[in-house]
Amino acid sequence: MKIPSLNPGACAGVRAHRAKKELLTPLGLPAELPADWREKALHKFEELLGRSRSLALYLDICVRCGGCADKCPFFMGTGDPNNMPVARADLLRKVYRRYFTTAGKLAGRLAAAEELTEKTLNEWYTYFYQCSECRRCAVFCPFGVDTAELTMAAREIMASIGVAPKYVTEVVKKAHEIGNNLGIPDAAWRDSCQFLEEELKEETGVDIKIPVNQEGADVLLVPPSADLFANTDTMMGYAKYFHAAGISWTTSTYASEAGNFGLFLNYEHLQKVNRRLVDAARQLCVKRLVIGECGHAWRAAQAFMDTLNGPLDFLQSPCPQHICELAARSIREGRLKLNKSANDGITVTYHDPCNLARAGGLTEEPREILRAVVSDFREMAADTIREKTYCCGAGGGLLTDELMEVRMKGAKPRAEAFRATGAGYLVTPCAVCKAQFPVVFEHYGIKAQVVGVMDLLGKAIVI
Amino acid sequence: MACVLPALLYLAAAVFLIGMAWRTRTWLRTPVPLKIALTPAPQSVGGVAVRLAGELFGFRSLLKADPFLWIPAWLFHVSLVCLFFGHLGGLVIPKLTEGVLGLSEDQFEHVAQVGGSVIGLLAMLFLLVLLLRRLALERPRWISTFSDYFALVLLLLIVITGNQMRFTSHFDLLQSRRFVAGWLGLHPVAAPHELWFTAHILLISTLLIYIPFSKLVHAGGATLLSPTLNQMNDPRIRRHINPWDPTPAAKRPTPP
Repeated sequence: MKIPSLNPGACAGVRAHRAKKELLTPLGLPAELPADWREKALHKFEELLGRSRSLALYLDICVRCGGCADKCPFFMGTGDPNNMPVARADLLRKVYRRYFTTAGKLAGRLAAAEELTEKTLNEWYTYFYQCSECRRCAVFCPFGVDTAELTMAAREIMASIGVAPKYVTEVVKKAHEIGNNLGIPDAAWRDSCQFLEEELKEETGVDIKIPVNQEGADVLLVPPSADLFANTDTMMGYAKYFHAAGISWTTSTYASEAGNFGLFLNYEHLQKVNRRLVDAARQLCVKRLVIGECGHAWRAAQAFMDTLNGPLDFLQSPCPQHICELAARSIREGRLKLNKSANDGITVTYHDPCNLARAGGLTEEPREILRAVVSDFREMAADTIREKTYCCGAGGGLLTDELMEVRMKGAKPRAEAFRATGAGYLVTPCAVCKAQFPVVFEHYGIKAQVVGVMDLLGKAIVI
Repeated sequence: MACVLPALLYLAAAVFLIGMAWRTRTWLRTPVPLKIALTPAPQSVGGVAVRLAGELFGFRSLLKADPFLWIPAWLFHVSLVCLFFGHLGGLVIPKLTEGVLGLSEDQFEHVAQVGGSVIGLLAMLFLLVLLLRRLALERPRWISTFSDYFALVLLLLIVITGNQMRFTSHFDLLQSRRFVAGWLGLHPVAAPHELWFTAHILLISTLLIYIPFSKLVHAGGATLLSPTLNQMNDPRIRRHINPWDPTPAAKRPTPP
């Protein structure tokens, strides 16, 4: 798409609602901005610099070539210069230079160093929550500088002084207390599973189970909790698949959420939320842990789980697995009877969720499934798919109403690429994308359906 | 006065070597807590080597990002490497270089004259393009800081003073070789009394001191050490341990 010219301050006023005491305290974060917040923030900054090479290195080596500048969907959509990845990183970098580098301490502004002031803190809170940690910039950086690493560090520093969004902290709190992001209690989880079983019976005439807390099952499936309420076709798709493939499986009411909003807050909560999955798998004595259709869940599980809460040697290797990996293998091995014509009459394109494509190495399996179950599958433009995919505009903890302006603008590159295909269905295995795109399509006047990969597989499976 | 120039150059070299060693050591010693390979990432050491070589020698990601930036950026770096080896061969080990290349002294001088002139002019051209790009294009102009211009202008001045020596007839090659040999052998001799030579050495000293404290520190292995580029996508095959894990297996609370 056409790159907009710079529009300074275009999104300076779009900011996530701040969390208050009742959300911050339970998460072990300061209830309000401490009087000595600057010292505390700098102390945290220093701690993180010693803990993460990516942070230290990426703050040091950026040459400001600008290769990334027009690659961020949030810049492409807003034109706000602070949404150019290099400029976003510089918000953190200028403070780093002032307090932690010789040049910055000696030369100050000449070395692009600046004090940490309340104004800077406000900029951080604004622009590090206009980054979805999608990592598209990193793909185009000659040093692999990953702005997501800097965004995560900035968010962790802010959290340490009680500056965090209501949305993200609320979700993390629910995940700790109830086991899922939507706050669905045990009983409601069971009810919903039962309800979907009835739906499946009505549709297929066969008893297809959605088991709950079943010990000794082969697979523990951890879906995003949205699949049980908003994306029920995806949930029924899992059930049909396991039924048809003859794999025993279960869901868990303890780990009823694949998503991990700890990733959008700090390391401590990333690790803690992630632990529920490992504990549930151990308690239910399953052989395999399988992640459902959620983008960042796959990153937290595939890339981080073993480090965060391993060793996972009590489970079958490789662990964890993605539902699309399982389904694609079943198709390859000819274990599923498929009727492609069940999906005839629709034109389908595939949207790579950032965390699957750039952080989880999962780009081909969903396509394999789609080619097997859909006749009219077409790709979006090559520079907008696979590792070059655009964020839906709501990842990284941005899926909240007060950020709507940034969400819609950040989705523009994807919306335009989708429109160009003429497809009527956008397929994507990510609950955040599925929540975001219907709003995006309405905003841009696009008439299209948003569905999951397992939805279409489920339709094509002959029971 | 005669000994000021070599002394300054010793100081600059010391700052550069110690500074770079210190910076690189800091990066190397900082842990990499998680697997953050940018996928599709290689799954073998050989694959990582190929990926890093592509970045290091071909600036592959930059080529993907912006071919019109890649051209001057890549060519500038190539000319920088050529100039380095040109100085090494022509000033530091001329006899050896003549032998290796199988050239007579006259032939070698001729090659150096032509090669040095061409590369010197090209380096100047690419630097000018990079500088003009920063000034002319909206996005690069917005992100550029004083230090970005400082680095470019400094390099430009080094190349210009070098070219001046190349293109002025009274440049004394033999005396320059004696100066370099003396300096490297820790028996410094007086520098040639030549304005451009003095300026060239002063500017190079400034650059050497500047590099470890600026973005030019990226020369110290930035690409090779970058976790997004040098990691394999193998978290499900090999365990990746976080050395500062606040809750390793032994410290984890028992689940309810």
